[in-house]
Amino acid sequence: MKNVNPAARISVKLVSEVGVGTVAAGVTKAKADHVTISGFDGGTGASPLTSIKHAGSPWEIGLAETHQTLVLNGLRKRVAVQVDGALRTGRDVVIGALLGADEFGFATAPLIAAGCIMMRKCHLNTCPVGVATQDPELRKRFKGQPEHVINYFFFIAEEVRELMATLGFRTIQEMIGRSDLLDVNKAVDHWKAEGLDFSRLFHKVETDEPVYNCETQDHEIDNVLDRKLIAGARKAIDTKEAVRIETDIHNYDRTAGAMLGGEVAKKWGYAGLAEDTIHIKLNGTSGQSFGAFAAKGMTMELEGEGNDYVGKGLSGGKLIIYPPKISKIVAEDNIIVGNTVLYGAIEGECYFRGVGGERFAVRNSGAIAVVEGVGDHGCEYMTGGVVLVIGPTGRNFAAGMSGGVAYVLDEAGDFAKRCNLAMVDLEPVQAEEDAMEKHEGMTNDLEAHGLVDVMGDMTRGDADRIQALLRNHAHYTGSKRAHEILLNWEYYMPKFVKVMPVDYRRALQEMQKKAGGR
Amino acid sequence: MGKATGFKEFARQTPGYEKPESRVRHYNEFTQPLSNDELAKQGARCMDCGIPFCHQGCPVNNIIPDWNDLVYRDRWAEAIEVLHSTNNFPEFTGRICPAPCEASCTLNLEDIPVAIKTIEHAIIERAFADGLVQPEKPKAATGKKVAVVGGGPAGLAASQQLARAGHAVVLFEKNAYVGGLLRYGIPDFKLDKQVIERRVAQMKAEGVEIRTNAHVGVTVPVSELDAFDAVVLTGGSEKPRDLPVPGRELAGVHFAMDFLTQQNRRVSGEAFDAADILATGKKVVVIGGGDTGADCVGTSNRQNAASVTQIEIMGKPPVMEDKLVTWPKWPNKLRTSSSHDEGCDRRWSVATQSFFGEGGVLKGLNCVQVDDKFQPVAGTEFTLEADLVLLAMGFVHPVHEGLVDGLGLDKDGRGNVKADTVKYQTSNPKVFAAGDIRRGQSLVVWAIREGRQAARAVDEFLMGSSTLPR
Repeated sequence: MKNVNPAARISVKLVSEVGVGTVAAGVTKAKADHVTISGFDGGTGASPLTSIKHAGSPWEIGLAETHQTLVLNGLRKRVAVQVDGALRTGRDVVIGALLGADEFGFATAPLIAAGCIMMRKCHLNTCPVGVATQDPELRKRFKGQPEHVINYFFFIAEEVRELMATLGFRTIQEMIGRSDLLDVNKAVDHWKAEGLDFSRLFHKVETDEPVYNCETQDHEIDNVLDRKLIAGARKAIDTKEAVRIETDIHNYDRTAGAMLGGEVAKKWGYAGLAEDTIHIKLNGTSGQSFGAFAAKGMTMELEGEGNDYVGKGLSGGKLIIYPPKISKIVAEDNIIVGNTVLYGAIEGECYFRGVGGERFAVRNSGAIAVVEGVGDHGCEYMTGGVVLVIGPTGRNFAAGMSGGVAYVLDEAGDFAKRCNLAMVDLEPVQAEEDAMEKHEGMTNDLEAHGLVDVMGDMTRGDADRIQALLRNHAHYTGSKRAHEILLNWEYYMPKFVKVMPVDYRRALQEMQKKAGGR
Repeated sequence: MGKATGFKEFARQTPGYEKPESRVRHYNEFTQPLSNDELAKQGARCMDCGIPFCHQGCPVNNIIPDWNDLVYRDRWAEAIEVLHSTNNFPEFTGRICPAPCEASCTLNLEDIPVAIKTIEHAIIERAFADGLVQPEKPKAATGKKVAVVGGGPAGLAASQQLARAGHAVVLFEKNAYVGGLLRYGIPDFKLDKQVIERRVAQMKAEGVEIRTNAHVGVTVPVSELDAFDAVVLTGGSEKPRDLPVPGRELAGVHFAMDFLTQQNRRVSGEAFDAADILATGKKVVVIGGGDTGADCVGTSNRQNAASVTQIEIMGKPPVMEDKLVTWPKWPNKLRTSSSHDEGCDRRWSVATQSFFGEGGVLKGLNCVQVDDKFQPVAGTEFTLEADLVLLAMGFVHPVHEGLVDGLGLDKDGRGNVKADTVKYQTSNPKVFAAGDIRRGQSLVVWAIREGRQAARAVDEFLMGSSTLPR
């Protein structure tokens, strides 16, 4: 995250529960800028009642533990502690500060000030007061004014000021962590609280250090590989001029390409640059998250090998990984990228000459990938995109896969046994009977990314799509395997299996019907 | 929950009315019910709000989204079960309730609330037609005797609830038939009296003993109540507000309720021993701009009055309320009832300074425009010709003579019988009060609520605990 946008404050939200202090300490050591302790009282209008009623615990408990743990471990200064979860009044803010919070999150109350009437329909696009909807007709009903929210926060601030005056504080900082000032008798002496011991909740850790956020984290990103890449690509970022960079990469160069992707996105938005504008040739073994969040126009060619999390959140870039040309290993029999490749990828292309690890393309929502074999749980929770596997897969392929398609070369004929068929059907790949037919579907594709050849109508044109991908794969990575399949297409084609999510096909067919009806 | 997008797809639809020129020629109800298909669509408009404001808008806390949904899904038998769980008499409220539920409906923010009252009306009428309204006899008798004094909606609701709890209930009614203002005040064209009869038949089958022509404190001695383990007073707030200005004694100035009750008796063929008050051929002025006034307008038109004028001391309310200020509460806005559509002149900010006449017979009123503090504006005096003036200015408190004073009960500052809304207990521990006699003049639906809640309070008082709903 910090790599993609070094200016961003990175927040980690933790559910308030016993043990959250330890997690918060870990998160702080991992350089989070804030830690948010979220209580169980709140909840969005879209969350199920069971989650609203039965998840988490009061923010006071988690906040007290977090603050105490951070102070005890000398971490408190480095991180801003936030608290949220049904904060409503200035009194809530003051109690939060006394228990150790620097910052306070409000959501429901200002929404109500702006006109929310807690319909709990946020997820249905039917908000009748136009707050949580994209429907232009319903949005007309929105009557809120910024002043309503401003007014609300003025009241909060005024109440906080009054309470601070009563307690004798001049600044919020003085107040943070002063749990000794909380008057707890009223709550603790209540008959329902009999037998409960609150002393740990209100314990104050003695220290000479400041107990509020007064330092910034050292994120150690000043000298990462991307700084070099950005310098090399400066021309391309500023003027769209094509550049080519070649450099070595090592396994300590983590998240290579993310900061460059962030720079491109900052300047050009999601549209990015033209294909291959920034071509980066890297030699060596990458660290984790190679090519994460790479933007459109970025091509990252790695001669060597990837690591875990290659292409995490890929946002339009192209990733090419193949073994060193001098290497004698058989590419299709050896691992080229690690686990959880393409986690949450949105768009882009990947060509991996070699075998991927487990959970390949998990949560992929739009990227295209070619790989020569995968481990267990391939294409898990995938919702879009195309994955072509020209080698064996592990078990539980396509678990929870609700969108996109996958093609698997099933030479052994036992893929059906290793595929999780709960949400998908397996179909044969057939040759196109009619070239005209193939072109017809291209106007009503589900996700028109301009990659018409590959991302056209997913209900047909399979053989052409596979061939196009194989040609790209052979071209970019020099894959012998792809070359061989293309040479013997008539032999290999019947061995391909198309993995098609049932609901995805239904949605596509409905959309085609609609388009045809017009 | 109806249909998630129903409110965007279907328009609000309420029943039509027979045309004014034909409906003023009779005293029958004139609404034209919606078809089942249309009702399903209206039910579909309900959006099952996360915060169902209608639950609180409705004084009996009807579980409105649930039965809207059941109507949408064509599950009418379950719908009446849910509706009856909070409201003993939906056939009354479905007809004459001003529907504060619809005012509090989320869709009323856009002035297109769900047609809740129409759906309620349809559910209960269908239930009666399908034979789903059957006596609910108690499983066991408790052996306790309870007197309910006053057969209006509060008394009926209390009696029914208490009888269902197994108590021996005797309902005392001073008139020939029970129903209170439902029977004698509200004109037949708004509420057919058969509607009361079929409900009374159910109550009798459930064991409620009804003693009519029994005016406790007048024709029945108060001491007769001593024989009961508990007494519930539901006598209403019947003392009308008078207008003590010069000329009040002229012949032709009457209380609205004297006029309306006569007509209702005429329609049902019940004899009454008082001179006829008729609007036929007369210039009628109704003083008071509320619902009783509107009923006087409708009745006068049916009696072929020469002209009908309704005056109101308060200013003309806005046609459209400011929703951001009022919603989900009941807004003050201009309300035009079906009776107004039948023809009448309405004037606001008008105070009557005196009546004038010849030979003791009313000829007209001297009026003046008033400001928002009801102070006369100099130079705005005017006269209205009138042969009949109907005073429809509300009721101040219950009649004290006889029952209330006879029991020696404490009263609140407004002259109502003093009792809270938890125990409903008066200063006499075994005497309870509910409805208008306790809260002052109000809606039928509030009377039903109080009757139900008081029944529970009485049940708790007699048995130590109660399973009746609050």
